Amino acid sequence: MISLTINGQTVEVPENTTILKAAEQARIVIPTLCHHKDLTPYGGCRLCSVDIHGLRLPATACTMLVSPGMIVSTESPALTRYRRTILELLLVRFYDAGYTHIAGMPALDTQFAHWVNYYGIDMKSAMARKPFRQIDGDPNPFIWVDKGKCIMCTRCVRACAEVQARFVWTQAYRGYDLRIVSGSATTMMQARCESCGACVAHCPTGALDNKMSVKLGPPDRLVTTICPYCGVGCQLELNIKDDVPGGRVLRVTSNSKAPINGDHLCVKGRYGYDFIHSPLRLKRPRIRKYILEGTARPENRGPWVEVDWECALDVAAKGLRNARDKYGPHSIGLLASGKCLNEENYLMNKLARQVLGTNNIDCCDHTSHASTVIGLEATMELIAQSNSLEDVAGQAKSILVIGSNTTEQHPIFGVKLRRAVLHRGCKLVVAHPDFINMSEFATIRLIHKPGTEAALVNGLMYIILKNEWEDHAFIEKYTQGFDEFKQSIEGFTPGHVADITGVDENVLHKSAEILAKERPMAVVWSVDLTHHSTGRVNVSSLINLQLLLGNLGVAGGGLIPLRCQNNSQGACDMGGHPAFYPGYQSVELPATRKKFEAAWGKGIPTKAGMNAMEMMTAAAEGRLRALYILGEDLVGGALDGNQLRRSLGNCDFVVLEAVFESETSRHADVLLPGVTFAEKTGTFTNTERRIQMVHHAVAPQGESRADWKIIKELAHRIKSNGTDGQYTHADWDYGDTSQIMNEIAMLTPIYAGITHERLERTDNLQWPVKNLSHPGTPTLSVEHLRNARGRFITARYDEDVTSAQTT
Amino acid sequence: MKVIRSMVLVSVDQASLEHGAEQVFHAFLEEIEEFGLSDQVAVSTIRDVSIHEDVPLVIVYPDAAVYAPVKVEDVHTIVEEHLFKGNIVPSLLAMMHELVPEIAWMRGRRGALPVQKRIVLERAGIVDPGSIEDYILYDGFQALGKALTRMKPAEVIAEVEKSGLQGRGGAGFPTGRKWSFVASTPGSPKYVICNADESEPGTFKDRLIIEGDPFSVIEAMTITGYAIGAHQGYIYIRGEYPLAYQRIEHAIEQAEAHGLLGNRIFGTDFNFHIHPHAGAGAYICGEETALIASLEGKRGMPRARPPYPTTFGLFGKPTVVNNVETLANVPAILRNGAVWYRDVGSPKSTGTKVYTILGNVNFTGLIEVPPGITLREVIDIYGKGMKNDKRLKLVQTGGSSGTIAPASLQDTPMDFDSFRNAGVSLGSGALLVCDEDTCVVDLAKVILRFFRNECCGKCTPCRIGTLRLYEIMNQISKGEGSLSDLAEVKKISEAMSEVSNCGLGQTASTALRDILKYFREEVEAHIIDRVCPVGACPIAIRKPEYLSVA
Repeated sequence: MISLTINGQTVEVPENTTILKAAEQARIVIPTLCHHKDLTPYGGCRLCSVDIHGLRLPATACTMLVSPGMIVSTESPALTRYRRTILELLLVRFYDAGYTHIAGMPALDTQFAHWVNYYGIDMKSAMARKPFRQIDGDPNPFIWVDKGKCIMCTRCVRACAEVQARFVWTQAYRGYDLRIVSGSATTMMQARCESCGACVAHCPTGALDNKMSVKLGPPDRLVTTICPYCGVGCQLELNIKDDVPGGRVLRVTSNSKAPINGDHLCVKGRYGYDFIHSPLRLKRPRIRKYILEGTARPENRGPWVEVDWECALDVAAKGLRNARDKYGPHSIGLLASGKCLNEENYLMNKLARQVLGTNNIDCCDHTSHASTVIGLEATMELIAQSNSLEDVAGQAKSILVIGSNTTEQHPIFGVKLRRAVLHRGCKLVVAHPDFINMSEFATIRLIHKPGTEAALVNGLMYIILKNEWEDHAFIEKYTQGFDEFKQSIEGFTPGHVADITGVDENVLHKSAEILAKERPMAVVWSVDLTHHSTGRVNVSSLINLQLLLGNLGVAGGGLIPLRCQNNSQGACDMGGHPAFYPGYQSVELPATRKKFEAAWGKGIPTKAGMNAMEMMTAAAEGRLRALYILGEDLVGGALDGNQLRRSLGNCDFVVLEAVFESETSRHADVLLPGVTFAEKTGTFTNTERRIQMVHHAVAPQGESRADWKIIKELAHRIKSNGTDGQYTHADWDYGDTSQIMNEIAMLTPIYAGITHERLERTDNLQWPVKNLSHPGTPTLSVEHLRNARGRFITARYDEDVTSAQTT
Repeated sequence: MKVIRSMVLVSVDQASLEHGAEQVFHAFLEEIEEFGLSDQVAVSTIRDVSIHEDVPLVIVYPDAAVYAPVKVEDVHTIVEEHLFKGNIVPSLLAMMHELVPEIAWMRGRRGALPVQKRIVLERAGIVDPGSIEDYILYDGFQALGKALTRMKPAEVIAEVEKSGLQGRGGAGFPTGRKWSFVASTPGSPKYVICNADESEPGTFKDRLIIEGDPFSVIEAMTITGYAIGAHQGYIYIRGEYPLAYQRIEHAIEQAEAHGLLGNRIFGTDFNFHIHPHAGAGAYICGEETALIASLEGKRGMPRARPPYPTTFGLFGKPTVVNNVETLANVPAILRNGAVWYRDVGSPKSTGTKVYTILGNVNFTGLIEVPPGITLREVIDIYGKGMKNDKRLKLVQTGGSSGTIAPASLQDTPMDFDSFRNAGVSLGSGALLVCDEDTCVVDLAKVILRFFRNECCGKCTPCRIGTLRLYEIMNQISKGEGSLSDLAEVKKISEAMSEVSNCGLGQTASTALRDILKYFREEVEAHIIDRVCPVGACPIAIRKPEYLSVA
């Protein structure tokens, strides 16, 4: 620790702290413009100049490191004079065209305007007389560029390079003519801009702004919530203006306290919000005309009729009840949704098991990451990503990315990996049939033939074993089945693997060496690996690799399956799975079944149900008669849409909750308008098992309703018998989602410590959270291996049917 | 046996080459062959260190006869009369008063200028800069040999420290102390950088040192590398100095071929490699941190200091950055010892200083003198007086970023301390002599336009301050200024010199500040009377207002 004096106040800070940070700690404000805590100090604007005793000239607080006994004063008449001069000089080359003026005043919400105001300068009279740069100077659809308002702080340049690792912005020309340009003075898109908006988020003057909302003014309130796109689970702030009933979203920002992303968002999260207020949203419930008329179902289900909620709910409940009563409970299938809240998915699971009496429930995550779930199940007690994203990006010495186009599928994590490579020299091996963006940052690229992933990984393990690079101690202590595994790998000689995969032998050898020697090593994969007929074997081979190298239970290592949707993990956690109750408690274990029976009432089915694929087959064969789909475009997102169309067409009765019409809604009989993430309160669980609060920001559009309310209403209507007091959780009388979460916590050991109230206080709970005082589990340790010993799975390689078909 | 009795040197600088120096060189070879003198007369090239128009220049040793300008048809006469018969050809001799002191200094010349003390330039103009043998003949590589075989690195540093050598790039930091900082900073590898990005207007000493004696720089860098424990050196040469780059490149090749550079120098375990790098035309890259950024392949912009390059330099490693002139002193110090070096010059300003004289004087060029000489002496003795016998008005010292010394300071001794006390900095050693016809507003305008264009743009005071100051001076020169402008000038220049990031911004307004200090009345005349007393500004063509009143 270093002790220094700032404005007469003694401050103790660690070594290598800047004066600015030390002052911040002492609650002393020093004006800054070019400084941003995410970015490397620049020292360009000079606004933060402070006097240091013994130095001839003032020094910039943002770049100067503290030293013992330093005496700093941050205010003096001279410093104030310099600061005012600096701001006046900046205004000489600053022109505000007035489009953001509020009642004749330039926008005071920017950092620049704040300091200009603070030092008593009238912006309007001090700024340039006429424009000298083009306003709206770039055709980027999301980012507004007005270089007249640029003060050359270069925060955008540094944000693009350091936060997004994209290097779009740069400086050109020099002296008074210095300006920021994208690429070699091309358009932003030509300079390979990813439109993440990091430059906008870091701009202190409004020279860079969000094009869609540049003239919309400041918001009335900010609502912190979770992004509805991928499984990374970034926190964002919806900027709401209450000039229409219920409010509307002006723009999306982020704040530095966001646990995963900080100030950073990707193009989807920051700019993909217009669907909330889309005129195409479903605003009233619909049912098919034939139902109203009581006639037989036409081939194409006939035209829609808009009805009120009572009618639609009655029809839906009746349809499902009829199917149950007529064909038995197992003739009904339910699909939970990775787009909906944990609470809603829990209700789906409860509806299926308690009310309808079937285990035929699955979710999208199962279809995309089914092989991951099955693969992990064999080794791990808890079926989820083993380490935090930050843990991998911050501590892994090498990373194998296989079957994941990370920067496109999980942009913020992809960017974290890019940063890991650029900023701390992490070694990156990218195995993908395509040349993807991650490949540009790879130490080694493995461009293998599609479907040969298992052979590739087995080949790497062969090389590791031949060179004795494996972790003997870990294998000895924490694994089983090593000898059989070792025998099974014998066939995967580099030559043979090279033949299968098309990857050169030397390249294989080099990759194996990096992955084995640069430890901890993390394996990152996603759907490009699992969407194969051999997906399960692919996943098994990755697990073998990590057992072999002892990368489980260590920070910076681990198995990192990136879940696709914002709540894929949560939907699965909440029992959106034919074989598991919430929290991966097997339906076939009598003990757990008893627990749920005691809670929900008798009549819970004893055998695992059908998964999504099996349900579709059953529907095509007429064994499944009714489907209830929550927030999912099954047909549009399927690999083989035609087969699904046949299955759904053959289904007697399909209820769909959705926010838009879709390919799937063409096959529905009842269409119930749900709401988006912005219109409800609850929780999402991201790919690293982090449970985060989603907050209601705007009123539901039209007559749409929160999905949990719809499910609740349906349950009430389907249940024939009244509530029974002897069961703790038989009721469906939920007043809000926090009550549902309390029920989840009661029944689900890994969510036992979760309450909404606790989540409002802290954002950092990763399950298992064992009780109300348990801090969560960022890294799954070796204890979470099944039976405390990881099982090696016999290495194999089968030709992939799906890719064989497509090629 | 071949006995060379005469040596013919043909100047091959840029101007000479344009005026047929190459043809002259070949003509000499042919004529000498013709007269059967090939075994007795050697022909070589020389970088003429003078700045004058009569080129090419031919010097014949041992007589040190200087012929200029020499045309191809003159060669026959020179060879026949001088080399064959032994008679100097007076009709072809150079007009002495048009030559810089350099040439006049040469041994045995009649009418030579007062002898300068030469350390840095001891070989320039005498040796063939392309020949390592020449360099070795004139004591070259003795210092390196001594250092590598008989001294420990710490002893080398101690010797340089003892010599009191101060950086010659402008700031005057003690060189030995800089080296010991780097030597004692943990971190590896370490680097040596020679700053030859000499861009200060009116300064051309580094170019002439490199062009005239490139091996001395290479030897000095190698010694530096040995002293601080570096194995790589970079020499960053201004892009506009192609000949200097060529000479350095050639010198590196030769030194490597002779085992005096590269691996196992002098048969010891010490390895050192030098990489030349050409700048791309940015003034700011003469600033050491901008230079380092540029070498790293980044935009040449200064970093925040501290950390200084001594701890966080090239690629983040401890680095010595020394000016060419500074380095060129090092071999002589090691060869002759620190005591000898201290004896030259005053206790606080040891050694010599190279100055470039330019402006309204009769002779312009390069001189190397010990400290203590006055401006008046420089102008009278080396500059051969003011041009057209005009009166001296001011001298700008140290290039555009330097200070202004009014005529009243011309008897102050030129050493670091005396000048500093008088508020004058010597900087890079440029002496721009201005006579009474110079308008200070016009001068300030020229200087500020230069900085407005050359500022890197990183920090606010400098980027927009130079622009504003130029605009204001431009207004004043047009007769559109007001007295409140002078208050703004004061405010801006104060902020610039106090809170700018690097030396450029801190010194860009120095000249203007001094002008307002010494010549305020003249500036105010532009504003109040709307007249340019000298008649140099656009305003001058207007009638003063009081004339039109009547």
